[in-house]
Amino acid sequence: MFNIAPDHAIGLYFGLLALPLALIAIRLRPARHLVPGTVLAASVLMAMSGAIHLGLIGTHREETITALLFLFNGVAYILLSVAFTWRWWRPASAGLLVATLLGYLGYIALGFDSPDQVAVATKLLELTALGLVLVPVRGESRRRTMRWASLAVALPALTLITASTVWIVDLARPADAQHAHAGALLQATNEVATPEQNSAAARLYAETKAAILKYQDPKVAYAAGYRPGGPSNMPSSHWMNQRYVDAGYVMDPHRPQGLVYANTKHGPVLLGAMFQMKRIGQFGPDPGGPLTAWHQHENICVTPVGLEFSLMTPFATCPLGAIDVSVPPMLHVWIVDNPGGPFAVDIDEGVVKSIDRA
Amino acid sequence: MLWTVAGLSAIPFALAGEVFMLGLGLASLLVALATCLLAIGVLWRRRRARRWVIAVEITSLVGSLILLLLPIGANHGPVALMTNLALPIAVILLLHKQRESFS
Repeated sequence: MFNIAPDHAIGLYFGLLALPLALIAIRLRPARHLVPGTVLAASVLMAMSGAIHLGLIGTHREETITALLFLFNGVAYILLSVAFTWRWWRPASAGLLVATLLGYLGYIALGFDSPDQVAVATKLLELTALGLVLVPVRGESRRRTMRWASLAVALPALTLITASTVWIVDLARPADAQHAHAGALLQATNEVATPEQNSAAARLYAETKAAILKYQDPKVAYAAGYRPGGPSNMPSSHWMNQRYVDAGYVMDPHRPQGLVYANTKHGPVLLGAMFQMKRIGQFGPDPGGPLTAWHQHENICVTPVGLEFSLMTPFATCPLGAIDVSVPPMLHVWIVDNPGGPFAVDIDEGVVKSIDRA
Repeated sequence: MLWTVAGLSAIPFALAGEVFMLGLGLASLLVALATCLLAIGVLWRRRRARRWVIAVEITSLVGSLILLLLPIGANHGPVALMTNLALPIAVILLLHKQRESFS
């Protein structure tokens, strides 16, 4: 969802190119004075959306139906962006915009395509254009009630449906295997671990476990410089050692940048260690191949209050007071039995609950 | 509308135990309501609404620019640029140009 599919990139250039052309075309038409500014703005956005659709035809020639739909859509948008003085312009534009939005959502829900930045940007353009098409401005008397009703109910509903569908499809069917974990990018590795990688992973696990067992007593971890982060009412907490983070030790079993504790009613119980790299995009060494793939959390919304998080929406927004960040790659080593494995991205919730009950 | 989506997006995380996210989600929904009322004020050509919208958009723009420039790994994709930069700039420019039509 936050990547640009290679075969969609061309659409973005077509859309950007259409912006100045559409603005110039409108300035050259005397009829622009006969319509409100909202109509002109919607025309420009529809011209951009049309250009994006036309630009995508070339890279989708082998998918005949998709290419034809792009052609029809692109031509219809361009024609409507020109015909803004037409009597039926509003219903025709609103109909085309809604049909395109719903058509795309059906398309991705059925698995014919995966949402990416070009698609979401186009949907954002279309939703904005739809709002501008529907909004009644001062002096306009035709169908005001219906347009206000559409603007107040249908447009917000369509925006929410678009955002939720894109999000659900992306989480359920990530565009690439590297985004198999929500909000995390996995390091690219070979698919099946070799015998050497198996033994290297086992060695790393044994060394790390032996080195961090002393931290089962949280007081020892605290004395070593580890400090708990985030709310203590969560099932588990990461304790970070800022000195080790700043020093940039790379996968040193004796100096892991973080420790993970279960927050149980008996106090913190050590679950494992976390190695972290210093820079975003800089993945660490991967001795175990697919077994020890690092992961990088991307596009997460973090709030400074209580250090809590959520995921950024498809429209690239975070809740008020939260900021969008990505964190450098990390690798967990779980010393408790974890169904996902000793190097899994997450600890299983059931494991933490059973520790709490024990 | 984007504030509404942002506010609602926090709810699942609040239900999963991120309690502060509930507050932020509700605050975002309140901002969504306020921006909706301001938009109606702009449609009715109210001068005060226009001023408030410009102030809100400038604040959003400055905040977005800071986040984009800081090395915190904020998203720099086309959608983020559209939402956080292009949209506020467009609103500011459009309202700035139409100053005389507000009462």
